[in-house]
Amino acid sequence: MKLNVCHLYPDLLNLYGDRGNVMAFKQRCSWRGIKINLFEVNLGEKINFKEMDFLFLGGGSDREQNLIAADLTQRTSDLKEAIEDGLVVLAICGGYQLLGKYYRTLDGKIIPGLELLDFYTEAGLKRLIGNIIIEVVLEDSIIQVVGFENHAGRTFLGHIYPLGRVLSGYGNNGKDNKEGVRYKNVFCSYLHGPLLPKNPMLTDYLIATALKRRGWSDKLDFLDDSLEIAAQKVMLKRLLK
Amino acid sequence: MLALKICPGITGFLARQSRQGIILVSGTNGKTTTNNMLAQIMKKAGHRVVVNYEGANLITGVATALIKAADFKGKLEGDYSILEVDEAALPRVAQEVRPRMVVLTNFFRDQLDRYGEIDKTIAMLCNALSKLPETSLILNADDPLVAQFEKKTGLPVVYYGLGKHEKVITTSSGVKEAKFCPLCGTKLTYAYYHYGQIGSYHCTGCGFTRPQPRVEGFQVKTGNKTANCFVCCHKGVVSLNLPVYGLYNLYNALAALTAGLNLNISLTAIISALQNYTPVIGRMERYNFQGKPVFLNLVKNPAGFNEGLAALLETREKSDVFFAINDLDADGKDISWLWDVDFEKLADKEKYFNIFVCTGTRGEEMALRLKYANLPVSKIKICPVQKRAVKEVLSGTGKTAFLLTTYTALWPTEKFLAKIAQKERIYEAERVPSVS
Repeated sequence: MKLNVCHLYPDLLNLYGDRGNVMAFKQRCSWRGIKINLFEVNLGEKINFKEMDFLFLGGGSDREQNLIAADLTQRTSDLKEAIEDGLVVLAICGGYQLLGKYYRTLDGKIIPGLELLDFYTEAGLKRLIGNIIIEVVLEDSIIQVVGFENHAGRTFLGHIYPLGRVLSGYGNNGKDNKEGVRYKNVFCSYLHGPLLPKNPMLTDYLIATALKRRGWSDKLDFLDDSLEIAAQKVMLKRLLK
Repeated sequence: MLALKICPGITGFLARQSRQGIILVSGTNGKTTTNNMLAQIMKKAGHRVVVNYEGANLITGVATALIKAADFKGKLEGDYSILEVDEAALPRVAQEVRPRMVVLTNFFRDQLDRYGEIDKTIAMLCNALSKLPETSLILNADDPLVAQFEKKTGLPVVYYGLGKHEKVITTSSGVKEAKFCPLCGTKLTYAYYHYGQIGSYHCTGCGFTRPQPRVEGFQVKTGNKTANCFVCCHKGVVSLNLPVYGLYNLYNALAALTAGLNLNISLTAIISALQNYTPVIGRMERYNFQGKPVFLNLVKNPAGFNEGLAALLETREKSDVFFAINDLDADGKDISWLWDVDFEKLADKEKYFNIFVCTGTRGEEMALRLKYANLPVSKIKICPVQKRAVKEVLSGTGKTAFLLTTYTALWPTEKFLAKIAQKERIYEAERVPSVS
């Protein structure tokens, strides 16, 4: 078994330890004997999304995000095709916002997004910062997912499902209790932390989904997740009393 | 702070009484050490100096230091005020006290949830300093984020830096900040890196290049307990032997040395003060526990943590390691930066480490980080009670113990350590006489 993992713009979208998501995906595969080919793709570098099994897009500062928007626009139709074909994508914070229709800044300027998914984001005055817990429904289970959010943007969804509902924290906009976006195998979220290492059930779901797309539907080998669960419990205990 | 509310201009009023002027030290890492080194230099040269204490580097802490030093009539007896100031508080402090000199160490991501993004902090700082034409800057030539201040502020500048040495790195894997030119946005090219984005950079877009430092260290040697280099400046070439570990301390010393020279202290006096430097709490502070050397070090961001790990990786003997990670306000509530620290390097030398004891309010997360860095789970131990964790690491079978802690975990660790282990003075024998 072999999976192709693409980390988009690791040089630019690398805020808040988000590279930990790629580490977690990679490690949990290699501990099970699943080989990983990692493609780190920077500005202007070629990549064929159709050959990829998992694509990660992290968050960056405003300046960094402007630099990549131009580059990513040229790849939009390729990415769209791959997404419709079932490519597993994880997009966090700034990477999440980029996939939507637009981002409206405080002074009303509209920064166009890739328009791949039906949502938009507006800048807010106060940053939404803090630990967060959401509830996510996967195919056959409901899980609690912990992380840390830090975003000025408020995201509002159109005809599209959220990733989960907020149990504690702000989520997409601090108002409608929704967090992130789920479309086909695309998972968008504001959760840093990073997200995947201390939410192993979600990570394994992404791995299993990627494998299924390549025709492997066996159950994943069991891993001892005591440390993962211990790290997650710290936050569940603190916030959900 | 009551006094600040009653009299909002009090900081400036008091600080301006320093006869010879006010020096502010800021940057992400090394400001406490640099500030203390400079204060020791100035004191040794016979000046009366007002300093603020460790961590008291927000506007209230600066005001407290000055109020404490003043008499009841509000008169301040001192030649110099040498104050470390948090980079986010610097615009306001600088505006109030109108410093004679500002020393900048480096810029890395630090406690982002409190300050937002580093670009914004730097932009605010540049803007504030550009309005103080009487201020001069002492800048780290090797950090593009610091060196940009000359162009952005238009102030007179003196640069310090470290030249190429044997251990420089030629790959960019550790760079998280400033991969791109801070002036024009083009990707920077590097001849070499010391760590992070610190090194010899050049921009092909606008020509922004590491400036030739006025004070430059070369032939760097760092051992387990010392750091040495030669220093070349307009006063000649001297050897500098620091009684503390680490490349980053050489940077701190060069910053203090450059500031001292510009305050007309003789090179010989500066070198002698630096060679007798006693580290402040939690800066690779050394203890002795039943004959075993124990090191205590504060970590608060990826760059600082990587430097701390570098000390662990220097050892050729087995050691025991302790990490205390808290997520209180003063530590930064977001601990995701642990995933930007290169713990993978420990896995390469895994056989040198017996045990990793993880404690603090987020000790579990620390343990998880080590697991994903490929360290064997059998060597990772979560120990929620901090005192017990200290005991656990000290009773390990290694020849050395390293304790690395975040800000709020430092004081309890230090307090407990001071009870059961002896704090060490620096051995005279370890000092090498200078050739000046």
